[in-house]
Parts: sequence; C-alpha cells; structure tokens
Amino acid sequence: MALSRKIAYIDLTNRRVRTAPIPLEMRKLYLGGRGLDMYLLYNHVKPGADPLGPDNVALVSAGLLTGTLATASARTHVAGKSPLTGFVGSANMGGFFGPELRMAGFDHLVITGKADGPVYLWIHDGEIEIRDASHLWGRDAHQTQTMVRQELGDDDIQVMTIGVAGENLVRFACVMTSLKNAAGRTGMGALWGSKNLKAIAARGRMDIKLAFPEEALEYNKEIITQVTSAKVSKTMQKLGTLFIWGTTNSTGLVRVRNFQSNQIPYADDIEPESIEEEMIGTAGCFGCQVHCRGRYFIKKGPYTGAYVEGPEYTSLGAFGAEVGCTTKQTVLVGNHLVNMYGLDTLETGSMIAWAMELFEKGILTEKDTDGLDLRFGNDEAVIEAVHQIAQRRGIGDILAEGPLKAAEKIGKDAIKYLIHVKGMSNLHSDERPTPALALNIATASRGSDHLRSRPAIDLYHLPEKVLRKIYGNPVPYDGPLTSDYRDYEGKPWEVIWQEMCYEAVDCLGICKYHTVFLGPNMPNFSEWPRLIQLNTGLELTSKDIWDCADRAYTLERLFNLREGLTREMDWLPDRYFDEKTDRGLPVVRGKSIDREEFKKMIDEYYKLHEWDEKGRPTKKKLEALGLQDEPTHKL
Amino acid sequence: MSKKTEESAAKKVVKGRTSGQFRCLNCFERLTPPPGAKTFTCPNCGYAWRIYWFNPGEPRIRGPVWDVNEAQTQKSMAENKGGK
Repeated sequence: MALSRKIAYIDLTNRRVRTAPIPLEMRKLYLGGRGLDMYLLYNHVKPGADPLGPDNVALVSAGLLTGTLATASARTHVAGKSPLTGFVGSANMGGFFGPELRMAGFDHLVITGKADGPVYLWIHDGEIEIRDASHLWGRDAHQTQTMVRQELGDDDIQVMTIGVAGENLVRFACVMTSLKNAAGRTGMGALWGSKNLKAIAARGRMDIKLAFPEEALEYNKEIITQVTSAKVSKTMQKLGTLFIWGTTNSTGLVRVRNFQSNQIPYADDIEPESIEEEMIGTAGCFGCQVHCRGRYFIKKGPYTGAYVEGPEYTSLGAFGAEVGCTTKQTVLVGNHLVNMYGLDTLETGSMIAWAMELFEKGILTEKDTDGLDLRFGNDEAVIEAVHQIAQRRGIGDILAEGPLKAAEKIGKDAIKYLIHVKGMSNLHSDERPTPALALNIATASRGSDHLRSRPAIDLYHLPEKVLRKIYGNPVPYDGPLTSDYRDYEGKPWEVIWQEMCYEAVDCLGICKYHTVFLGPNMPNFSEWPRLIQLNTGLELTSKDIWDCADRAYTLERLFNLREGLTREMDWLPDRYFDEKTDRGLPVVRGKSIDREEFKKMIDEYYKLHEWDEKGRPTKKKLEALGLQDEPTHKL
Repeated sequence: MSKKTEESAAKKVVKGRTSGQFRCLNCFERLTPPPGAKTFTCPNCGYAWRIYWFNPGEPRIRGPVWDVNEAQTQKSMAENKGGK
C-alpha cells in the first residue's frame, strides 16, 4: 500500500543503514513529506547545531500521495537546518525523484554524520548502498546525473544531486534533479556538500498499491479537469510561470535594480511572450497535465546548443529586472548556469543585484571586485558573477556567504541595502503596495518566502463572497476579508490559511500550482480528503488535514524559536517603510508599508495563530496539537 | 469507502469557468476584446493593454501600452486618484 513505505536512517560517518516502518499514528499526525520532515528535524537536530557540521541532519522525503494517481503528485521534500539562515531549512522540488524513491521502498531518509570522502546513495527495491563518489566530485548537476545512470546501467534511474556550488558550501546552493528541478531555497545543497554527499540515485519496481484504484482514477479525472480548465493552467501550459512576471510588471509589482523601482517599462525582449518565442516545447513532472516547464536551446554565445529547461518567474527576475538586464539571452544563460552549478536562482540574482547597488553607491569598488564592472545592466558581469559565486572566486566568495554574512564582511552601510527577511533574500516582487504579501514574507517560516504563505489571489480583486468561501473552509472565519489588495485589515487570516494550504500540499507531495496559489478555484481542503482516501485508504476530514498542517507549521515555529528567532525578525527591511514605489498603476504608485498598521497585522497574525505577543505558541495551542512534550523521538 | 452521490466540488468549479475575457489590471473590469486583437483599451478607465492570445479564443494581457498608460497614470496621480 501507499502507506507501507519505510523510513531509512543513514549514518554517513559509520556507513550504517537502518530502516523502520512509519507508524500509522505518525501519518495521521503529520501525513508525510514536509510535515513528517519537520517532526524529524525538530527531533534529530540538536539545538544550536552547526548547519555545516556533522550534527546537522539531511532529510529527504516523498509526500503522502507522491507517486499515486493524485494529479501532480511529483514532489520531493528536502530539509535540514539551513546553512543560509540558521533556521528551518526546507525546499520542495518537482520532477520524478519522489515517485521513484517510493517505488524503491522508502518515503523518508534521515542522513546523519559526515562521510570521510565523497559518496552517493544508491537506493533500489528496498536496498540502500553507500557508494564512492570521488569521480563525481567537481561535476555539474547535469553531468552527475548522466554519469550515475551510466555507472548503474539504467537510464530510468532518478538522481538528486548537488553541483559545484554545493561542494563549495555556497550557503544558497540547492539540490537538483533533472535539468531544472531544484530544491532551491535555504541552502540544502551546502548541507549535502558539508556531509560529502554528492547525490542520491533511486530506482524501484515496487508497486505503490492504491486503496481504491478504479475510483481513484475516476476522481482524479475530475481533479485534472478542474485544474486544466483553469485559465491560469492554460496560460502556464504556454508560458510557464514566466507569465506571473509579465502580469506583475504590467501592474508595477516587481523588484527592479535591487529595490530601486517596481516596474521596468519597454523591456519587450524579456516579456514572457518574447521568451516563449524561443521555446521548442514544454515538459511536465510526474503525474502532471499542465506541463509548465519550457524547453529551449540556447542559440547564441558560449553555451550555444545547450538544451535547457526553465527559466521560471524567479530566473526572469533574477537575471532580468533585478540586475537591470533586458535581454532574454542573459535570462536563458543565467538560468542554465544556476541549474548546472546547483545554485538557488532567487538568492543568486538577489545577491548580484545587491552587490550592484553597493557598486553604484561606492560601497563596493572595482578594487573589491577585481575589476568586475558590476554596473546594473552589464549582462557579462552578471554572468561572470554567477561563475564567481559558484566557484567562490573574487567577490563571489563573499556573496556565496549569503545576505547577512556577506554584509558583515563588506561592512560600511552594506546591510542597509539588503532586501531580506531572516537572512534570506526576498522574491523579485515588490510588496509595498500589498500588505498581505508583505506580511507573508515577513512571517514565513523559512525566511522571506512566497511559497510558504503567499495569498497571491489577493491580487485578483475577488468578491468578498468568493473570499469567504475559500478562506472559511475548513476552519470557520467570520472576521474581515476585503477585495482590495492595498488593505491591511483581514489579511492576516489569508496568510494563515495559505500557510496551512501550502503546508498541506507539501505534506501530500502535490505541486502548489494544483492548489489555491495562482488560481482561486483549484483543489484544496475540500477535495483532499477523498483524494487521500481513494489513494491510500486513510480516512481524514478536511479539518484533520488542516490540523496536520498546523502541527507541522507549529513545529517549524518551535524549531526557529529554539534556534534564536525573535519577534523582531518577523519584520521587513526598512526600505519597505521608508521608500515609496515610483512606478506602476495609480493603485500601486507612491506606496510604502505603514509601520504602525503593519505592527497591528503582526499582532493579529500572532493572535489568530494562538501565539503570544512574542510569537511563541501558547501552552493551550501546543496542547491542542499534542505538541506539549516535543521532542518525543517516536521516529 | 464512503459513497459520493452529490456533484463533486471539482465538477461544480468546471461548470463556472469563463473564457474569452481578461480583467483590466487597473480597474478590474472584465473585458472581451475582439478575436485576434493586438491591443484593447478598457472602456471603463481608458487604460490600454497589449494582448497575447495563448489560445485562439483566450486572451491575456501581455503588457501595457506604455505611453498611453503612463499618461493616464500621470493624469490620475495629478488628480490624486491613487487613493489609500
């Protein structure tokens, strides 16, 4: 059955592997994927552990529905203590690895210690081998996957790997699979690198037996129609997530030249539709009918002929407006390089844009950059900076440390120009006109992050009636909700609802584009109980699923508090309050966040969460979720 | 396994879908441009949009007609219509 997969404990120091079943009781509390990973993180990482030391734990998991008939059940979750922030490290990726891991017999991997030399894991049909990876060290993410498949003699093997950036402990290195699927945020690639873990390969022939296969198939057809009939899905089938950048730039909600503007006009060459002209087709992840991954050949420059996938919204921001570049060539090449090196594209672009503003302001000079002309809009310098970060050369060695550590090394007023929360750079969007989205990034559990709690549909001007239908289920809510994205009132509940929604899909192993992220009528708590029941046999109500999500999210909060989080860190950079937007539609122009109103939002957000004024879950809340005795070491 | 007799949420959602339209990003009016139109001006607020047809019957905003919309915005800001 889908619930029969095991957990494996892999001690790299002593090269030992132990496996165990996952009790049904834990499934009912945490479902799987990110949820159960958060339990493991809280229980297995010692307080204060060095994120790049052997006491940190690298977690890999499939979701409860990963690899089943549930649509887009492709997701793999990667976790540990973040080398970037020191708080929760957690990243989620599509592709085919998660389903293959389940077919090889495992749902969760708990990787501890440090190997005495480069290794990779080979997981197949219930077996786990720790193998030498000396010959893979130094290879990029794409080469590594090919070499592992060749070595093991099976082209259908799925591989997760780090690139050179992870080996070099770049604090925002990611874990990659396929050409572009990245567990991108919080530096999980650096964590793997610190353990000398180069890759994990999986291949399985163990069927994932479904509880009610015929009914599951029929119900999934309904869900597929629900998803693919949405305009947002049809748009993504043509443009991928690039379309978001086009829409938000049209309004004036993107980040330009670090944070100096919120719209880039006349940049026709980097409009999604222009990039789409280069596309030779699209590809999809396991079980997905949307197929949002654009496929390209690079046609110019030193990477001519390279076959790439992506770029997505974030790479367009990272190698376009953020760094003042307006050519799609730079976007395509930048995207290709971060995928090969295994770098978080968002953090990479943000660090370069920040360095460019420091350069513009004279805080960094050509002396600091070894002659690299880091002026905004210098396409060649941007590409060179990517190389330097991954290889830890020149100024790249400092930028590779991530926002806070790099600011400390550079000194002067460098920190003033950082656009980050909790040491993680913000998405390439501008939230000054949108308090709900600002609250999302200020409070997200892994640092500034749109994928943790962003109520993106707040931008759609939906009628209150529609908002109530979405945000009133499965937990009743009769507080304010408004259609105006400039409002402060009512938004904290939207953020909390989205937290639970995104936590739940991450526990289930379903893509966020198949829930209420970009489309208001996508599957959510209403559809998931039946989906879970038909695929796994597990009987859960919508409220049960909400509680699982709440339990996991609360553990994330507890972990962060244990590692030093304070209320002051649930906050935005000063520039959000002190500098006004200078472009865009009248509704977004001349806007900044009001400090007092924002403080009230935080208060309300804490209250709705049943956290105290310092952001700590109350005893009552912990008891309601059964978390009062954690860590309990049940797994 | 529980029996489902009423129409599922998924089916209800699909029935309510609309196509052939997009919303003006300035005033949120639902607009129906002529098939194949490259640009369309919102009759409600005067903002002009370049259109991309991702399917023959389904338009989306590709971007603003920059000059027109910037002039509209300047006028609007001068009249203090940005609000809030």
